[in-house]
Amino acid sequence: MSTLTELNPWNLLDTLLDTNNRVFRNVCNRAAGRFPPVNVYLDDNATIIDVELPGKTAKDVDLSLEAQAVVISDKPADTVDEHGKPSPAKPAWSRRVELPFRVDHDKANAKFINGILRIELPRADAVAAHRIKIA
Amino acid sequence: MNNENTKYIVPTVRMNERPEDYEFTFELPGIGKEEAELHVEGRTLTLKTHAAYQAPAGFKLVAQEFDRPNYAVSVDLPELCDLATVSGALENGLLKVNVKKRPETQPRKIAIA
Repeated sequence: MSTLTELNPWNLLDTLLDTNNRVFRNVCNRAAGRFPPVNVYLDDNATIIDVELPGKTAKDVDLSLEAQAVVISDKPADTVDEHGKPSPAKPAWSRRVELPFRVDHDKANAKFINGILRIELPRADAVAAHRIKIA
Repeated sequence: MNNENTKYIVPTVRMNERPEDYEFTFELPGIGKEEAELHVEGRTLTLKTHAAYQAPAGFKLVAQEFDRPNYAVSVDLPELCDLATVSGALENGLLKVNVKKRPETQPRKIAIA
């Protein structure tokens, strides 16, 4: 079955550019060791980081929080050396996202939604100014 | 929902052939079961999705490395496929479509009289 639709050349161009961008994005990612793309959102009280990780689950990804940054990396499978001892493997990729404020570590959370990891990082309460007495 | 202005892009697709079947893997990050449609017409397998990813409400986007597109792709299934056995499972943003090979194409042992 075919339907008649109005031909929009800009739509065709958009589609071509999209395909082109995706092809070269994959090439660039491979050249750089392939790391997942992220989107970062911000408001006054928190930041949200979305990471595109199709096919991954919580057991495949490591998250670590620093005072003002978050590091996302893959969790390599356990390996053993030639003597049968556990050997730490390096992650295949790692991304570090700097944050514009200190994060409340206790309220930070992350969850997977259909192959996208959403990390929510609330801003830590402002530390009250502390006066130091000079002896 | 769909009109001629809806933009579609082709998802990353991998095909594995095994002795008894074929497995196609489509990368569809952000897509749930409700947003994906899979059709078989003749020997053509067609996948179409509707963008479901929602940016968090009230937040400002400050860095963007991926978009949330609609995906669409058509794949011509190999002639060995048994079209009645097409099945698909979408989990964690990966759609796996399995198609068995026709029984008469499978290797079989011939008894020697």
